[in-house]
Amino acid sequence: MVVLAASIISKSGKPLVSRQFVDMSRIRIEGYLAAFPKLVGTGKQHTYVETENVRYVYQPIESLYLLLVTNKQSNILEDLDSLRLLSKLVPEYCYSLDEEGICKTAFELIFAFDEAISHGQKENVTVAQVKQYCEMESHEERLHKLVLQSKINETKDIMKRKASEIDKSKIEKNRGERGGFTPLQSMSSGRIDSGFGSDTSLPSTGGGYGGSSGFGMSTDVESFSTKSKGRPSASATAPPKGLGMQLGKTQKTNQFLESLKAEGEVIVEDVRPTVGQSKPAALPPTDPVTLNAEEKLNVTLKRDGGISNFGVLGTLSLQILNQDDALIQVQVETGRNPAIHFNTHPNINKELFNNENILGLKDSNRPFPAGQSGDGVSLLKWRMQSGDESLVPLSVNCWPSVSGNETYVNIEYEAFSLFDLQNVVISVPLPALREAPGVRQVDGDWRYDSRNSVLEWSIVLIDNSNRSGSMEFVVPPADPAVFFPISVRFTAASTFSDLKVSNILPLRGGPAPKFSQRTLLIADSYQVV
Amino acid sequence: MEKSCSLLIHFDKGTPALANEIKEALEGNDVPAKVDAMKKAIMLLLNGETLPQLFITIVRYVLPSEDHTIQKLLLLYLEIIDKTDSQGRVLPEMILICQNLRNNLQHPNEYIRGVTLRFLCRLNEVEIIEPLIPSVLSNLEHRHPFIRRNAILAVMSIYKLPQGEQLLADAPEMIEKILSAEQDQSSKRNAFVMLFNCAQDRAVNYLLTHVDRAPDWGELLQMVVLDLIRKVCRTNKAEKGKYIKIIISLLNAPSAAVIYECAGTLVSLSSAPTAIRAAANTYCQLLLSQSDNNVKLIVLDRLNELKSSHKDIMVDMIMDVLRALSSPNLDIRRKTLDIVLDLITPRNVNEVVLTLKKEVVKTQSGELEKNGEYRQMLIQAIHSCAIKFPEVASTVVHLLMDFLGDSTVASAMDVVVFVREIIETNPKLRVSIVTRLLDTFYQIRAARVCSCALWIIGEYCLSLSEVESGIATIKQCLGDLPFYSASEEGEAADPSKKSQQVTSITVSSRRPAILADGTYATQSAASETAFSPPTVVQGSLTTGNLRSLLLTGDFFLGAVVACTLTKLILRLEEVQPSKIEVNKASTNVLLIMVSMLQLGQSSVLPHPIDNDSYDRMVLCIRLLCNTGDEVRKIWLKSCRESFVKMLSDKQLRETEEIKAKAQISHSQPDDLIDFYHLKSRRGMSQLELEDEVQDDLKRATGEFIKDGHDTNKLNRILQLTGFSDPVYAEAYVTVHHYDIVLDVTIINRTKETLQNLCLELATMGDLKLVERPQNYTLAPESSKQIKANIKVSSTETGVIFGNIVYETSNVLERTVVVLNDIHIDIMDYISPAVCSAAAFRTMWAEFEWENKVAVNTVIEGEKEFLDHIIKSTNMKCLTAQSALEGECGFLAANLYAKSVFGEDALVNVSIEKQTDGKLSGYIRIRSKTQGIALSLGDKITLKQKGGS
Repeated sequence: MVVLAASIISKSGKPLVSRQFVDMSRIRIEGYLAAFPKLVGTGKQHTYVETENVRYVYQPIESLYLLLVTNKQSNILEDLDSLRLLSKLVPEYCYSLDEEGICKTAFELIFAFDEAISHGQKENVTVAQVKQYCEMESHEERLHKLVLQSKINETKDIMKRKASEIDKSKIEKNRGERGGFTPLQSMSSGRIDSGFGSDTSLPSTGGGYGGSSGFGMSTDVESFSTKSKGRPSASATAPPKGLGMQLGKTQKTNQFLESLKAEGEVIVEDVRPTVGQSKPAALPPTDPVTLNAEEKLNVTLKRDGGISNFGVLGTLSLQILNQDDALIQVQVETGRNPAIHFNTHPNINKELFNNENILGLKDSNRPFPAGQSGDGVSLLKWRMQSGDESLVPLSVNCWPSVSGNETYVNIEYEAFSLFDLQNVVISVPLPALREAPGVRQVDGDWRYDSRNSVLEWSIVLIDNSNRSGSMEFVVPPADPAVFFPISVRFTAASTFSDLKVSNILPLRGGPAPKFSQRTLLIADSYQVV
Repeated sequence: MEKSCSLLIHFDKGTPALANEIKEALEGNDVPAKVDAMKKAIMLLLNGETLPQLFITIVRYVLPSEDHTIQKLLLLYLEIIDKTDSQGRVLPEMILICQNLRNNLQHPNEYIRGVTLRFLCRLNEVEIIEPLIPSVLSNLEHRHPFIRRNAILAVMSIYKLPQGEQLLADAPEMIEKILSAEQDQSSKRNAFVMLFNCAQDRAVNYLLTHVDRAPDWGELLQMVVLDLIRKVCRTNKAEKGKYIKIIISLLNAPSAAVIYECAGTLVSLSSAPTAIRAAANTYCQLLLSQSDNNVKLIVLDRLNELKSSHKDIMVDMIMDVLRALSSPNLDIRRKTLDIVLDLITPRNVNEVVLTLKKEVVKTQSGELEKNGEYRQMLIQAIHSCAIKFPEVASTVVHLLMDFLGDSTVASAMDVVVFVREIIETNPKLRVSIVTRLLDTFYQIRAARVCSCALWIIGEYCLSLSEVESGIATIKQCLGDLPFYSASEEGEAADPSKKSQQVTSITVSSRRPAILADGTYATQSAASETAFSPPTVVQGSLTTGNLRSLLLTGDFFLGAVVACTLTKLILRLEEVQPSKIEVNKASTNVLLIMVSMLQLGQSSVLPHPIDNDSYDRMVLCIRLLCNTGDEVRKIWLKSCRESFVKMLSDKQLRETEEIKAKAQISHSQPDDLIDFYHLKSRRGMSQLELEDEVQDDLKRATGEFIKDGHDTNKLNRILQLTGFSDPVYAEAYVTVHHYDIVLDVTIINRTKETLQNLCLELATMGDLKLVERPQNYTLAPESSKQIKANIKVSSTETGVIFGNIVYETSNVLERTVVVLNDIHIDIMDYISPAVCSAAAFRTMWAEFEWENKVAVNTVIEGEKEFLDHIIKSTNMKCLTAQSALEGECGFLAANLYAKSVFGEDALVNVSIEKQTDGKLSGYIRIRSKTQGIALSLGDKITLKQKGGS
């Protein structure tokens, strides 16, 4: 029982609509439909015609024939059922039962036919069902849309609420502010806020950050800030040289900002320049006390050798999870590198550090600020500047050479034996290309970013086994200057300062809380120009 | 296999949509405009445009649309676009649609999911489907049945793809699991169909484990179960036993469709009498219970098939089949009678005839319009019964003779012919029939029936009393002499009578008919009136029927009366001892004849007696005046002898036909045996065994192309260009039913690359090109095969013109090579057919187009010439062989053929041998349409010369 096709043709034999349910060529179906009007006789009381190959079962509808083409073995009872169903469907979709009307609604008819007959076999459906199927009104879709809409609304609400909260806090800030609060900072803090609000479902921490911080943590902040208020005068004697930029700024800003910073607002300034860089510190600290020693490398190398700039900025920050563990001092070891200048936070007892390498607050009764979020409190900053080429952890040589229709570019790197570099990515700008450059040889992997037209050469790890490596690629002829500046990113686990935390000294006695320390060297801006 | 076509929409060429407009509308945001543009794009595609530039627009602007109608139209669009390049590889840009399809498959709207799944069923490109498979599978467990049933079908069609088994290795297992848990009928059916197609053993397994529940399954599933059973049993005959039980249980299903299918399955599975009987019983029940005529007719077809294969069993069912006569539809009744007549045996003939008689009686009471025709059918049926089993004749003949006076000429004619035959073959019945005939003679109203009845009276009144009452009856029917009086002469100008006569003449002269012997002539006055509508007998029966007929001017009947009377007198001379009585009767008869002649020559009637009838009557008068043994022998014996000879001839012809039929059904000793494993098949898996249903389907979809003889193929090669042309082309033409395929081979004979080479074709006649020509590039001295499809819609000689156009790199202008014309022969479309002489005559009268071809041939024998014409026109000779035998110097024959488009072609050949030994005459061709008449005429003119 197979219906080959369901068709509507005019009495004159013009096929108006036909839907085939099995594979057949166009010429075949057109032939069948063209033969039909000649076969159908008049005055017969039955409505089927058989030919050598097929059977037509039809029903006249006004000036049209509704027609099923079936094979001859087909079950006539089923076919008549299908035909009856179709004949009820046609007037449902077609307002005027003539050629024009059918042509106008041809597609609707085809959709309806599809529902009534599948794979040439009768479907058990009623007219109402077919109509329902064709209307495609889905309860589930409505539900889905409602859910989607409500989610959007909810998010919008949250956004509004957050915005108003930020406004509120801004007003509060402005009230206490005596100037110097840059709109940029307020913007960025606002951004972080809303980000937190929607990301984390823990309102306690999120709220603690936002406007409500003024209430939830006000006492702590107040106490800290009042202490620090007296600090600037004392720190006026602090060595003017080698101050971190944050600290330098802090001197000018008022206590409000200071307190924010103490709370961990530092990240705002840290995150901004390092957007997109890997943030290994992203794992939430699990030990009660965490110390992060991070060095940022700011290097500009000349393309034909030599250094134009080499600087290292280091920070040691302390993060304490629990207020109970906050009354501590930190014993550190420095690498005795004479080129490095250390600078402590104004609240840190400088003598203690200079003499015993112990970091502790001036007021030994006060605890360090605690909290889970942020990068903690920075205790110590240092910097190093040098023109010594041998200190450069990684040197990159790029040799573009034009030959004939192509430019061959050879790049090689050489790593300074002190460091094991991880996730090294050397990005070479290329002229705008249609296709990826032909890479002839590479140590490591390469990737072509067509949008920025940059070739990225990445080496997962550079250690003693591959202190040097090279890559060669071919591009269409280009000016050698195009391939500069080459920028390099990498991280390393050892630092220039070799700063280590050796111990934690609890001030109130008892066992020292467990601590972890992380050391990281990041290439902040490392370029070959 | 050509590209398949999944939908057709009538395209009005008057308002072609521009690709630019469509593009603009598609890019806009207006949903109705977008819908409209999509529709237009689809129509253009269906019309043969390719619109490649639209694809990207659609991907960019239509894919993301949320509107449901647009999404559905998009699926239609994707269904019909070419998804592969010329080498059959999937176009790379098709990957772009995958994401959209996947989104649709995960759409919250269940109907979008459903239609997308359905679309996947029509997709053959593995590259597109592969990424979608996980989404399809996830839909298998959706809670909405609409999605599930389509998802199952999608899985099936994916599994059936060439690499489907690798894509979805565990599909059968999955579907089996679904099947056992599924509740929705359609989904269940689809799942079972999937197993049935992809993992038959699993389907069988499922069926056998759930045998008990089979009768409760839904109709849809039961149908598939039956399908499965049929298929399994065909491959594995030994398994039959397991399934018969299921079928028997399904025979009681509530759905008629299932019952019908069951019966069909039973017949195909077993030829055991019980099974056949059960099937036949089922069919008979359906015959009675179904009110739809279509169903009845097709069930009768099935019964007819059963009849030819299992006659012995069907014989017992005869009375059940006969019940179908209760339907008022004539086609059904005719089919029923046809079946029944073949099943009559001596045992059941009485019962059958009884039923038929009852039916005949019923037709008298009812006032249905078709009664006359139905009665005629019944009479013919009874007639053939009586011929086969003469013993029943006695029971029916008297009943039938009541219908001699029937107002429908045809059935009365049938009765009288029947009586004529019975009276000869059944001598025992002669006396009673003659008495009865004489009793009822006055009721007969039609002239033709009268003349036949008169012949019977003249021939079979043997005894003295019969002869006397015969003469008396005729006399009574003629009424008192003379036929007209002087006063009536005054009324001769009776306007009503006159006008009636005039109209009858004009009508008949406009409709020349062909005579039974095939001669084509203007009709004589006598037969004219015979053909005119049942000659109304004015006045009551008190004036004799013969008299009134004569008074309408039917002198042919007068001649028959004269002959009958002469015959009776001659016989009376033999049986009547008293000479006086004979003479008395003779003078009476002479008086009648003379007054008839007088009537004919009077001016009472609008036109006088025709010469033939006049001669005939004069001959009779002369004969009676002056009898001789010679003449007596001719009149009394030879007439009867030639009648007997005619009957035996007829019988001989019938038995010969039966014999010929029986011979046809057997295969020849050197016939090919078809192994269906070796049949030509395309894209079928080797393991799958074909069965008749599939064959049937393939024939219908055109997949089953008979491989013609190679020699035939070579005969049809046509050279299209010359050997010195830069491009050589030849074609072979394959003519299928509704289409012509031109396989053109094109060879580049130059040393240059031909670019944009295009085969342009144009047609004349009822031919239509299907596709637009494509451009090709032809390397130096390489060749290319181009296929062109041409649609044919009627039988007519068609001509295909064409040229080949190309460019070369150094010549800027396009070069054109004109091709030879290709003539399509009408003979490919017509095939010999049979129709009854009556139908032939009506068609001959109806058809408007006549083409008359004068005979001009070197052939000298009439018969030989006819055979030549038959052979060269591929027609069937309707005129009986016996009528063509013998040498008499002239010959007339009717030929008939039908075209594949159902058109009729009639040919009449009338030839005479001239004294110089040459043949002269005409061949007339008639048809409904001009095309056939003209083309066939051309063909005959071309071929009739003969000799070659």
